[in-house]
Amino acid sequence: MINIDIGATAIAILTLFGIYSLMAISLNLEYGIAGVPNFGQALFVSIGAYTAGITYTRVLPLLAGLDSVHPCGPTMGQALQLRSEIMATQPAAGFINLALTLLIAAVLSGALGFIVSYVTLRLKEEWFLALVLLVGGETVRIVVRGADDLICSHNGISAVAQPFYFLGDARSSSLMFMILCVALALIAYAYSQRLTRSPFGRMLKALRENEAATRGLGKGISLARAQIMLIGSAIAALGGVLFALNTGFVNTNDFVVNLTLDIWVMVVLGGIGNNRGALLGAALIAILDRFTQVAAITLNMSGSEIEFNYVRFIAFGIILLLMLRYRPGGLLPESPLTTNAHEVLRRAREPEPLSKRA
Amino acid sequence: MPPALLTTSLVNTIQIGSLYALMALGITLTFSVMKLPNFAHADYVSAGAYAALIVSLSGVLNPVVIMTAAFIVGALAALISHLFVFKPLEGRDVSLYTLILSSFAVGLIIRYILFLMADYFNLFDLRIAIPLRILFREGSLILSNLFAWVVPTSILLVIALTLLLNRTPLGREMRALANNSTLARVIGIPVERVKNHAWLLVGGLAGVAGALWGMQTAVNPLMGWAAVLSVFAAAILGGLSSFTGTILGAYVVAFSEHTVMLFLNFNFGVDLAYKPAIPFIIIIAVLLTRPQGFTQFFQRGGDLQR
Repeated sequence: MINIDIGATAIAILTLFGIYSLMAISLNLEYGIAGVPNFGQALFVSIGAYTAGITYTRVLPLLAGLDSVHPCGPTMGQALQLRSEIMATQPAAGFINLALTLLIAAVLSGALGFIVSYVTLRLKEEWFLALVLLVGGETVRIVVRGADDLICSHNGISAVAQPFYFLGDARSSSLMFMILCVALALIAYAYSQRLTRSPFGRMLKALRENEAATRGLGKGISLARAQIMLIGSAIAALGGVLFALNTGFVNTNDFVVNLTLDIWVMVVLGGIGNNRGALLGAALIAILDRFTQVAAITLNMSGSEIEFNYVRFIAFGIILLLMLRYRPGGLLPESPLTTNAHEVLRRAREPEPLSKRA
Repeated sequence: MPPALLTTSLVNTIQIGSLYALMALGITLTFSVMKLPNFAHADYVSAGAYAALIVSLSGVLNPVVIMTAAFIVGALAALISHLFVFKPLEGRDVSLYTLILSSFAVGLIIRYILFLMADYFNLFDLRIAIPLRILFREGSLILSNLFAWVVPTSILLVIALTLLLNRTPLGREMRALANNSTLARVIGIPVERVKNHAWLLVGGLAGVAGALWGMQTAVNPLMGWAAVLSVFAAAILGGLSSFTGTILGAYVVAFSEHTVMLFLNFNFGVDLAYKPAIPFIIIIAVLLTRPQGFTQFFQRGGDLQR
């Protein structure tokens, strides 16, 4: 048996929770609120990770006032050492680089989402968008993998270090990183809650329910769809940056259809159309992920022949099927929106309390 | 591009294209009759391939027996996923995305059960070892008995399926269901039974495709999944409704993946690593510019929806 360090486990789970929440909130805004079937979520997440791979190898040395070394090929080791040194000794460069990465990733991914949404206008059937996004994600992955210099094709880029690496102590640096992830997730949550309750959010829900009627009410639906894709994709890319920093590794193999499915499982499990549901789904999947990792290692060490990591995927499939069949609304189903106007209406309808009448 | 390379790539096109046709017809049939873009189709292929591999490892090397085993396992996988997943959902008027997600989930479950099994019994990347004989040799071009099994079998099955759809009562009922399921029910077509038969057929053909695939390369749990988007590209070229279009689409996809890719590689230095992107580009281009695919060329014969 291995010893399980409760503190480290909690930090790992919360970090994953933060990262997964960003991805789930993004998908929930796009599909849950606006009804855009984004089966290419891995693409937008990967944009964040690739951006991190590029900025941490090209921009970081410049920020630290050093010459950058080509990260692939024969100079790979040297570049890796340079990164670690800068991250260990120059925290300011690391933070500026992180901020830049988040910004660039959000802008790039948001722009892509905005453009992609216009594809819908040309599609004959709505579900083709799901296919186009799925396939588009895979295409980008293959092109990035094929381009030797971008993120070193098959090898990927390792040692994309956490911004708190300079603290030296692994425990406190991962604690700080966890706080960063959770904080970003909570900000995204607060923002998406606000957005959902705003008139814009209500229009998106109307669009989801009935496109023709929404159009009939004089709402510009293609722009609205483009806007929500922009916002959602930007949030997904933030998740991607943190994902890369957390694993310390950028590799195209991480951004396959399975990642998209994971995010869908979170949203379906938590509750489609409910931001709190997205958080709950992300938390449950983070716990399940950590549990399978520990179980796999424990089983391997005890000499078991069963590879438990495969069981994780089977469990995911079963969870998804059970939820879709028995609780399609998720654990926290979407509740009717209440706005200030609703509140006024409710009060007007309620009979006044007797005590006041007299 | 040297002619030897060209002939080899054309042989590959025919071989792979026939397999794609076998798989893509299943996707077209599922989409037309069941109104479901079934991503789990890929994993019926892998399941069939593993059934074939296990039979061949037990010492039976007769290709017909091997393919029958693959047919049965593929058909059962398809029928089970219909009875336990898709049928209960159909009754509840769910959105198409729910169905797509469920098909992903079914595929995931089958794939990782195969992974568990392959890992436990050490069955990764083995070839279904039917004895190889060289039938024809001319320079670098070698045709083995494998080619003689894969291509005629696929083509025969495709023809058989087309005949079944166009000439038999079951085929007529399936086409009726594809065209208008409410009307089909009204005139007394036993809808559930027809659907069960369609699923058995679709899964069985996928299984056979897996067996043939495993004879020429190797069997692993990802083999079907790796081809699923190529196969979807073929079905989309057929407009997801035309049989003839789908068959043609399968060869077009195989041709672009093999001959065109090799041509680009040879003449323009395009890295072969980009090969998997070809079917994706086909899908995106077709959906954006010609969502009907080849259908309007084939208005008659073999069409499921007119």
